[in-house]
Parts: sequence; C-alpha cells; structure tokens
Amino acid sequence: MSSPLTLAPGHSSERPRRMLLVLGGALILATYLFLVTVQPTEIAGGVGSTASLVSLFGFLGGGALLVGGILPMLTTSSLVVMPLGIALNIAIGQIAGSLGMQIYLDAIGTVLVAVLAGPAAGAATGALSNAIWGLFNPFALPFAAGAALIGLLAGLAAKHGAFRRVYLAPVAGLVVGAIGGLVAAPVAVFMFGAAGTFGTNAIIAVFRSMGDKLLVAATKQGLLSDSLDKIVVFVIVALIVYALPQRAVRQFPFARTYRVLGNRSGRRAPQPTSGIGTPAA
Amino acid sequence: MPRRRIYNPLTELLAAALLVVLVLVVNRWEFSFAVLVLVVLPAVLLSGRIRQISLAILLVAGPLLLSSLLLHGLFYPEGRVILLDFGVARVTQEGLSFAAVMGLRMGVFTGVLLTVAMTLDIPDLLATMTHRRWNRKLVFILGSAVGILPHVALRARQITRAQQARGLVVGREPISRFRALLTVTTPLVIGLLVDASERNHMLQARGFSSSVPRTSYLPDTDTPRQRWARRGMAVAVGAFSVLWLGAGVLP
Amino acid sequence: MIRLESESFAYDDGVPLLTGVSLAVQPGEYVVIAGASGSGKTTLARLLAGLVGADAGSTFRGSITLDGQAVRFRGLPTDPRIDPAAWSAAVAFVAQGAWAQLSMMSATVGEEIAFGPSNRGMAPERLRAAVDDVAAALKLTSLLDRDPRRLSGGQLQRTIIAAAVVQRPRILVLDEPFQGLDEGATADVAAALDALREGGTGVVVCEPMLPRSAPDMARVLALHDGHPVFDGLLVEARGAGLRRYGIGVAGDPPMPGTGAALGGSGDDAGYSGAPPGPTGFPSPGPERIAMTDVCFRHPEDRRTAGAPGDAPAPPGLSGVSLSVRAGEILAVRGANGSGKSTLLQHLNGLHRADSGTVVVGGVPILNQPTGTLATAVGYLFQDTDQQLFERTVLREVSYGPRAGGRPRVEALRRASDALETVGLGPAGEAHPYELGFVQRRLVALASIIATGPAVWALDEPTAGLDEPARTKLAALLALHARGGGAVVMATHDATFAEAVAHRTIWLEGGRIRPAPPAHGR
Repeated sequence: MSSPLTLAPGHSSERPRRMLLVLGGALILATYLFLVTVQPTEIAGGVGSTASLVSLFGFLGGGALLVGGILPMLTTSSLVVMPLGIALNIAIGQIAGSLGMQIYLDAIGTVLVAVLAGPAAGAATGALSNAIWGLFNPFALPFAAGAALIGLLAGLAAKHGAFRRVYLAPVAGLVVGAIGGLVAAPVAVFMFGAAGTFGTNAIIAVFRSMGDKLLVAATKQGLLSDSLDKIVVFVIVALIVYALPQRAVRQFPFARTYRVLGNRSGRRAPQPTSGIGTPAA
Repeated sequence: MPRRRIYNPLTELLAAALLVVLVLVVNRWEFSFAVLVLVVLPAVLLSGRIRQISLAILLVAGPLLLSSLLLHGLFYPEGRVILLDFGVARVTQEGLSFAAVMGLRMGVFTGVLLTVAMTLDIPDLLATMTHRRWNRKLVFILGSAVGILPHVALRARQITRAQQARGLVVGREPISRFRALLTVTTPLVIGLLVDASERNHMLQARGFSSSVPRTSYLPDTDTPRQRWARRGMAVAVGAFSVLWLGAGVLP
Repeated sequence: MIRLESESFAYDDGVPLLTGVSLAVQPGEYVVIAGASGSGKTTLARLLAGLVGADAGSTFRGSITLDGQAVRFRGLPTDPRIDPAAWSAAVAFVAQGAWAQLSMMSATVGEEIAFGPSNRGMAPERLRAAVDDVAAALKLTSLLDRDPRRLSGGQLQRTIIAAAVVQRPRILVLDEPFQGLDEGATADVAAALDALREGGTGVVVCEPMLPRSAPDMARVLALHDGHPVFDGLLVEARGAGLRRYGIGVAGDPPMPGTGAALGGSGDDAGYSGAPPGPTGFPSPGPERIAMTDVCFRHPEDRRTAGAPGDAPAPPGLSGVSLSVRAGEILAVRGANGSGKSTLLQHLNGLHRADSGTVVVGGVPILNQPTGTLATAVGYLFQDTDQQLFERTVLREVSYGPRAGGRPRVEALRRASDALETVGLGPAGEAHPYELGFVQRRLVALASIIATGPAVWALDEPTAGLDEPARTKLAALLALHARGGGAVVMATHDATFAEAVAHRTIWLEGGRIRPAPPAHGR
C-alpha cells in the first residue's frame, strides 16, 4: 500500500562510490610514499618543483576524489552539521593561528562531526573545511588530505568507543595526531619550506640546529605539535559532546547505532509496550 | 565597494589556481617575482578594495614570511657559505636564498588567492555551480559554511558576553583559558546543533533530497565562451607543465 | 483539508501525551492551539506537519488524513514513513526559532524563498514568478534583495513563512510565530497570515496564551498536560475559565492587584503615569543604581554585524541619568531599537559609558572585568540559550555562585533553593535543553537568584512566557524588591509593566522621554 505521501519501505540513501574512495585513498598514499621515499633532491638544489607539484595534486586531488565518493552517501542529518563543523574549524583555527600558538586547534569541528555523524562525514568535513579556509588563508589548502584523514580516523575511533570514556579520548587523539603529523609534514616542507606559526617554527629550528634535514625536522615537529594538538582537540570535543542534550545526539544515526557516547548516546527507542496491538506474525 | 565584475567567479578561481600551478612548475624566483609585480599588484590595485586586500595579505603572509626567514636564515645546516656565526645559529647564503625563494612563492600564493577570494561573489559562484549541475550537496555545504561563518563568530561573541554577565573571568593561566574556551564553545555547539536538527527537517520539507537537477533563482552569468576559455586555460597550463618539466628532466 | 486523530504519542520514555485529541482544519480557517508550556501543543503542531518522530524514538498511534488520504500509525517499526517533501507541499510548517529554518546559503530573501522550488527543479522563469507572487502577498517585495540574515524579527518571520508557502500548501502550521516580536512586527505577521487565509489556506497557530486579537470565527483547541480541555470558538474560550489550565489571555495583567500589593498601598502611585523620581515610591531605600549623564556610541564593527533579530543599527545613549533605589522596580519601555538593551547592559559592564558615570551598589563601573560584576548585577538576556552550558540544571544554576567564589557545597545548596523558588525543584537533574522554552527562561532566572545580586537587569523577561510563568515572575520580582533589591526591566509588555513596576521610563533614540508617546496608556 504505497501512497504519494509516504516513502517506500526500505528506502535507503545512495551507495558510496567505492571507486572514487579507493582511488582517492590510493592517490594520497602514493603521494606520501613518493615524497618520503624518493625524497627529491630536497635540500641541495632548493626544492624540486616536481615535489611541490606532486604534493599539491596528490593531496588535493586525493581529497577531492574522497569528497566525491563520500557525498552521495551523506544523509541530510549529516549534511546540516558539516557546515557547522567547517565554520567552527575556521573560526577557532583562525583565533589560535593569530595568537601564534604552538597548536592549531583547527580540527574541533572536524572531530565533532566525525564523532556525531561518522568517519565519512568527518573526512568530507576535514577536506572541505581546508578547501574553504584556503579562500581566506591559502596555506590551509594543501593540508586538505591530512584534514580528511583526521576526520576519518576520528570517526573510526569514535565508532570503536574512544569517546565512551573521557580518558580514552586523549589516547585516541595522540594516535590520530601522530598519523596526521606524519602526513602533514611533507606538504609543509615541499609547498612552503615548512613555514608555519612562530610557535611551530621555533620547534623546527631546535631540530635544525641539531643538524636534522628539513623534512626530518618538520616531521618531528609535526609529530610533537599534531599529537599535542589532537589530544587537546579530542578532549575538548569529548567534553562538549558529554554536555550535549540527548535530543541533540539522538538525531544522528551514527552516534545512536554505535553508541558512540556509551550510555549517553541517546537511549534506543523502547519497543512499544502495548500487548494488544501486536500484529499477527 | 567591489569592482565591477567581468568574468564569472569560476573562471577567476580557475585562473588563480592555474597561476599557482605555473609558479610551482617554473619554480624560479624571477618568475614568481614577475607574477607578483605584473599580475598580483595590478589585480589588487584594480580590485576596488585595495586596503582590505593588502591588509589581509599582510596579516596572512607577514608572520609566515618572517618566521620562515628566521628559521632558514638562522638554521640551515646544509649551508656552506657562512655569513655570520652565532654558535648554534649560523646565517648562511644558501639559507637566505632558500628563504627568499620560499618567501616569494608564498607571497604569490597569498596574493593571487586572497585577491580572488576577497573579490569573489559567493552567491554568483554558487549559482554558477548550480547552473553547471555540480552536486547539490557540495553546493549546500560550501554555501552554508560560508554563510554561517559570520553567524558563528557573532554568536561566539554574544555567548562570551552572556558568560561574562554571569561571572566568567578569563585569567592568564592555560587552565583558565581552556575552561573559558569550553564555557563559550559548549553553548555555541549545542545551539548550532539544535538549529541543525530543525534545519534537517527544513531541508527535507523543501525537497532537498529530490533527484531532479536543481535550478537557481539567480541568472546564469557564465557564458559558453568562458566555459571554453576555462578548458583552454587548463589544457594550456597542463601542456606547458609537461613540456617544461620534460625539458628539465632531459639533459 | 487535514484531520488528525491522535490516540497517543510518547517520547521515548515519557508518559503518553495527546490521548484522544482530534483536530480538523478546513481551507481558510484560523485555528489556535493554546496551552501552557509542556501542554503538548508543539507536539500536536509537528504531527500535523507530518513529523511523527519515529526516527527520533517517539511512538505515535493514530491517523492523519490529508485530502481524503489516511495515513495510519500504530507505533510500530513497520509504520508508514511520511515523505517530508510531498507532505510539505500540502502542509507547510514554520517551527520556533526562525534562524534554524534559513538555509544559510542564500544571500537574498528572494533566493531563500526560492530554495524549496529550486530544489524540486522548477524552471527559472516560473521560479521568479512564484517568488514574486508570494512576496507580493506577504508584502516582502521591497525586501527581496536584502540579506535574510540581517532582517528584523518580523521581516525574518515573514520570509520564513514565504519560503514555507511558496509551494502553495493548503494548510500552514506555525509554532509560536509571534514570540519575541513587538507590536508592529506582530501586526505585520498577522496581516501576512490573513492574506494567506483569504487565498484559502487553513492556518494553525500555536500560542502560549489566547490571542487578544484574531480573525473572526477563529477556533481554539486548548491543551493542558497533553489533554484537550476546550474546543470551540475563540470568543467562547475567553469566558471558559481556561486560566485554571494555565492559559491566560495575552495582554491581561499577570495577577489582579499585584502592583498595588507591592508598595503596600492601594493607590495609583506606583503606576506608569507617575512622574519619574522616587516620589512615587512609598519607602525610599538606599540608592542601588545611579547613572549620571551617560553617553554611549556603539563601535563601528558592531553596527555592521548582523545580529539575529535586530537589523537596524542599535542607537547609543545620550545624556541618560537614572536613579533606582532599593525596593524599587523600574520598567524601561520604548520601541525596538530605542536603546533599552543598551541601557541595561551599562548596569553590568557589558557596555562602558563613553562619558558620564554608572554606579551600581555604591561601586562605580570603571575598568573591572565584566565577570566580577556578576555578584552585584544579575542579567537576564533576551536569548536565554546563549548562557546555558552545563549538562544538568542544578550545575547550571550553581555556576553563578561558584564563579562568585562560594564553595561548591554552598553553591549547590543555593542552586537547589533557587530552583525551588522558581518552581523547578524536581528538574534539577534534567539537561537544560530538554526543558521547554519557558522552563529554560526560569532556569536563567534561578541562576540569578542563586548568585544573589541586589540588582536585577532583565531584558524582555516576559517574552514567550505562559500565564503561570508570567505570574510567577511577577511574584518573584515583588519578592526581590521587598527584600531590598532593585529591578530594572526592559519590556514591551505594557500590562505587565503597569502591574509590576513602580515607575516607568520611556526611551526614544537613546534619550529618556518624560512621558509615554501618544499611543501609550
């Protein structure tokens, strides 16, 4: 009995375009491997233009493919929070950047979306937020793939319970941050010669003064700063989501299905208690 | 007062992106410098927003350039020609020239992209994307994120005032700042999420999940000629890059 | 036409609401769903709009019949799921909180109105014609090129209504569409609804109180605790004694005789007609607030920022002098944008005077951080939700006293006392956002009471309140004043001000006017 006013049962959102997801992921991975293993004649003759081009196209293009693959599977409930995540990233990141802090705090929105709406929405939020931020601050642009990775990993961590206990969040932040730092370092080096804020550059300078190559120094700095940054970000997000009313959490199928916040994730709807209305089997 | 528009925003964005690619491909300070003087400078002067754009460029690129100069100027262990020696830190010729190359490159990036971004007509861009049948979800996320940004900033300010009115005093210690950040972001996020849940219903009620191509209320400012020009530019830059890099690889 | 038969509705763990409610709406009808906070009127409105909430864990049993087509719900997972896009083409819904219903991607009112049809792929020429039609009907034509994020409250509400009805639905359901609007804006929105009704649209409006003016033959369905208590014509509803269900009539004074009881004397001295100055006040106490010749201009940046709900640049203050003594309640009145909020925010340091002095509780406001003044002045914002951030009501209310330096145990004790005082004792462990609008307002008031400042500055304290909360507020203000406190409230609510305040000042363009404008009492 279908009527024009109701939806057909079993209606589900479109399938993701797996091909694009695989291609995007592979492109990002290949780019990273190329940059660290081939390690173009980085220092002696200035920066090879191939390296910067590869990092630009590999990471940006990979990010674009990922977004293209993710978009069809997003429900409207994920869709409406992504702009908020992006706006939060930019608003808070801009403040942290202008204060010259050693950490960036530009992933609060990404992690928040990832925790509530899942890894796919998180990855898309990360990538798009750097793309949009790139309009105001071009230095954010090439980090789009790294940001997507953060969103993806944060969502996976949430799915497996990293936000069910407050002490698990910083641990997950440490791991995600370390991976993110590894990925971001070559971009920073090959695109901008590792220029960052005064805070991050001071850390690089320490490693450089010990004789490290620029990529090595930037990677070490990335490991340090990004881990610290993501620990703080994950803790902030955990505290925020614990303070959310159930009503706000309940609107997200991801958070409900995987009990992302443990007992706080909005109780499942209890089965109707009426014994009379039970349909005949 | 923004300048009168000549090209479609999509065309301008693509031109800026291709210019960035060219700078990376050519990778010589002379070329970067030429782009800076011959393209960015006139573009800023003709933008009609000279003050805002130069200020933005200065604010975004300034600290980066300075910190980059300090980093490479003082710490460049690969440098051979030592100009000054402070023990731990050494000023080397190689370090300075590396900082200069990178600095010019960053200057061009910032100049090109910020000039385009700050003269960008976002509604026009969104309308063009809709007319060109880009994914409606992508258009919504872009438009909504840009549209909501000032609202988020404003709301954060209002919440800060409300929290001050009930006793929030931000101290200097990190813990106090961290708590202040939480007392402001928590109601901000809750408010935005409650809005989002209502907006979710609104989007569904307004037929956002429909699968027919979306139309736009704004007229299409794109022209077939510009569409061809965009394809042409992309192909030209691609071909040039291949040739240039090929020539560089060959002896 | 639409017909709703509700057997029961329950949020995931709650008690069944709306048992045995039935409502039918015909073309061109005007139906008011009246009820105090928590009476189930929003739930009813959302059901009409097809939002049965099955995906959010709610259970609905009953049926909705739209144009002869019945959709039945048994509260089971196998229930039909309403197609929101198809439903909204017949039944449009305008929820509370206009901001959440903007797409945020439209730079002009025209685009925002066109958002729905353009999603459905309406051809550009027809799209323009449809937008122009609906804009003309709702008197929005001159605003079509404005930024929807920078409209005044009434303009924004009409834009949202236009965006909802551009599909030409037969029924329009609105949840408290007049909340927070001043008289002029309310009239504009009401006129827009009239225009739609004349075109044959049935209009359903949720209201916390019975409206003072409504179209002839308007019907009322009154709810109390999720049950219908009255169903009939509005004119009959006014005489049906609905006050016992917490449903008053908008514009009535909160409690007869409250104003006279405050000063302990039965004469008219405390009413707004009295000249400014402590003469009208029975027993002058020590001076709590002294503003002398205060001038203030808003900094440029805040003028251009589009604050939700107040589009015109807020005026500053010029030459405002004011004295409020202990035991006194002062009402500040004037049109939107006359500087009422600006004046109030000088009392707790949110604004600092450019020239002149502000002394509160004997302490001049100079450069001290705003936060340190919270123990001297309690401020109730127009938009309460900006200040709620804790995860339980009790923690929320205890924030003020803790920030004021009291030990945790004492802060919690004060908080639960304050919650008891405002009548929210049992809600201490609830999340502030899980309460209704009226209760959230009371939570904010309880935070002020728990902090214990002598001066209260209240911005539109009665906006959106239902009858019980309004009466409660009047009593709390009187109690605070009798205890030696002072109250300054900015308000549009004439009868409330007349009943509760000892004295009224009028603002116009940032200056104090000696007498109310001609249309005043």
